[in-house]
Amino acid sequence: MLLESLGLWGFIAQKFTDFLTYTGFANVEWANIIMILVGAFFIWLAIKKDFEPLLLIPIGLGIILGNIPFKAAGLEIGLYEDNSVLNFFYQGVKLGWYPPLVFLGIGAMTDFSALIANPKLMLVGAAAQFGIFGAYIIALAMGFEPNQAAGIAIIGGADGPTAIFLSSKLSPNLMGAIAVCAYSYMALVPVIQPFIMRALTTKKEKLIKMEKSREVSQTERILFPIVGLLITTFIVPSGLPLLGMLFFGNLLKESTKTTRLAKTAGAALNDIVVMLLGLTVGCSTQASEFLTLDTILIFVLGACAFMIATASGVCFVKLFNLFLPEGKKINPLIGNAGVSAVPMAARISNQEGLKADPHNYLLMHAMGPNVAGVIGSAVAAGVLLGFLS
Amino acid sequence: MKKYVLFAFALLSSAVAVAQGAHDFKINEVYVSVPACCQQKAAEADSAECCAAGPVAGYQDEYGETPSWIEIANTSFSTHDIRNCFLTTNRDVLNEDLSAPERIDMMSLVPKGDARTNLKAKQRIVFFADGKVNRGTLHTNFSLKPGEENWIALYDGNGVTLLDSVLVPVLEPGHSYARIYNKDKDAFEWVDVAPDQVTPAAPNEIGDNTDDKTAEWKKNDPHGIAMAIIAMSIVFGCLILLFVFFHIFGWVLNRIAKLKRVQGIKQVAEAGEKIVVMAKEGAETKGIEMENYVAVIGMALHEYMGNMHDVESGVLTIEHHQSAWKNKDHMLRHAPEIHHNH
Repeated sequence: MLLESLGLWGFIAQKFTDFLTYTGFANVEWANIIMILVGAFFIWLAIKKDFEPLLLIPIGLGIILGNIPFKAAGLEIGLYEDNSVLNFFYQGVKLGWYPPLVFLGIGAMTDFSALIANPKLMLVGAAAQFGIFGAYIIALAMGFEPNQAAGIAIIGGADGPTAIFLSSKLSPNLMGAIAVCAYSYMALVPVIQPFIMRALTTKKEKLIKMEKSREVSQTERILFPIVGLLITTFIVPSGLPLLGMLFFGNLLKESTKTTRLAKTAGAALNDIVVMLLGLTVGCSTQASEFLTLDTILIFVLGACAFMIATASGVCFVKLFNLFLPEGKKINPLIGNAGVSAVPMAARISNQEGLKADPHNYLLMHAMGPNVAGVIGSAVAAGVLLGFLS
Repeated sequence: MKKYVLFAFALLSSAVAVAQGAHDFKINEVYVSVPACCQQKAAEADSAECCAAGPVAGYQDEYGETPSWIEIANTSFSTHDIRNCFLTTNRDVLNEDLSAPERIDMMSLVPKGDARTNLKAKQRIVFFADGKVNRGTLHTNFSLKPGEENWIALYDGNGVTLLDSVLVPVLEPGHSYARIYNKDKDAFEWVDVAPDQVTPAAPNEIGDNTDDKTAEWKKNDPHGIAMAIIAMSIVFGCLILLFVFFHIFGWVLNRIAKLKRVQGIKQVAEAGEKIVVMAKEGAETKGIEMENYVAVIGMALHEYMGNMHDVESGVLTIEHHQSAWKNKDHMLRHAPEIHHNH
């Protein structure tokens, strides 16, 4: 009886020891700790500094979730393990169907009036895309393959969903780092852009007051998504998933007959997708995959891409002004908004404008290049995908 | 009747759908295994003896042997299953008088129940043409003959629809016959491929004729300048087109609105002239038709005021006006005066 009971205790002790080997404490590595701290830092940035909380909180928690150490015992819990719940959510990132859904929401929330009223601002949105190709050139010089360089360079478009979409197709092994980098820099737009804008503009240029935009008719608003879709996708069919959904969402909004659908696309659906996207992108940054030299290079290239995009937008406006008559000139402070971080980049333009002249409100003018940047970056992604996939 | 039409339409649609998938399968590369002795004295070799001697090194099957093989490619960007399709080298199947079962008897069936036959986009599968069908799904019931031309055909599951065929010429030992993309002609062509470029179950690439876009860009544009120029031109092109369209469209709408405003003003002016005339006439008639004139003048004023409303300044002005309504002395009840009687 006593032996039997000792055998039972031995069994319990063995199982308890086994259990301990499954815990995170038994499997933790320094890399996991570093990544958990990175996740916590993202959450702190989002809550304390109010940097893109809708993105950084899911990503931050995702980073923590993805770096909880566990014993690989076929429990089907890890992001990269078949049949796990996280792996199921991750398919939306891996197969690239979250980004078009986010674009649907963006389209349903975006008002293109500022752009339609002053269509020349579209060119500013196009100019800022040079950030993408500038970074592409630098990435090639650093030794990345063309497909990897394209995936990294799209960070310069300042568009998280586009970056995820393109990298999932062209360089899936770098996607986690690219996505986190893209969203991090989007959150850091208020830190990166102002000093470049100030450095590249004179006091006189900062004081340029732009004329009030004309009123845009409902017909124009309805026509914009249809014509936009036709023109852009006929030229770049590879951009169809992103551009198609963007303009579809916008048509839902502007038709005025599908308000319910537009509300769902812009609110509930978008929120659900952003949550899953953020969480799974965060999870994909497992220490073993993320803490590499490539990740550091991607962050460096991402910063370069953002700076080049901002500078090229501002410089293009200055160049453009040489051809515009007095009274029609554009304030170069809206050039930064050509990157598609909507509406953060436009807010930066407004803030900088108000610093120079407390009565110069640039927000609505900056929204033009800002939404043009969304179209421009989607077109650029389509071009890269078409050439390199 | 409608039911029959609908049924016929559904049948036709499904038939087309099946055909679409199957037509994406192409014979992509053929390798005819030549036994060792034939390589040494190809001209005088006796095929029976050669076969007994066994083939030389090549692509190995599950049994470690290196028989002839036929590579089939799914050329589409969708997943298609090649099961139930047929491979054959028997030219008699081209006889149109034969029934489907008669044709099928001359062919080698790709059996179902093997996951390997489900080909993803651009995937390839290799069938071993060794006449040993008992060795598995990937073995055919016929073999290819070295030192001879071999006609190979791929048929759809009905045994009638020819999906693809190729006449493989006599090849040198170790060579294969491959379908390769010719960039200059923008078309595929069959070429004799040297042994070091034989690629079973992999893309057929010779020299610059590659469909690997990344490799092409890396070779021709190592610094990314061409990509930057082309891609920026396309991005600008798209947005310039949008700019031109909405610039012109906005201008047209603006003109139409202006024309409407001018028309409105003209109407008001005409109405005004009529009023003047009527007022004069009214004075002459000494108010006999006064009610009519008053109604017309009232209507004209109403129209005028309506138009005036459309061209208001858009500036909100909230000016302070002192009136009795704002005067506290008038609005508030006075406090009762208390009179003290001394």
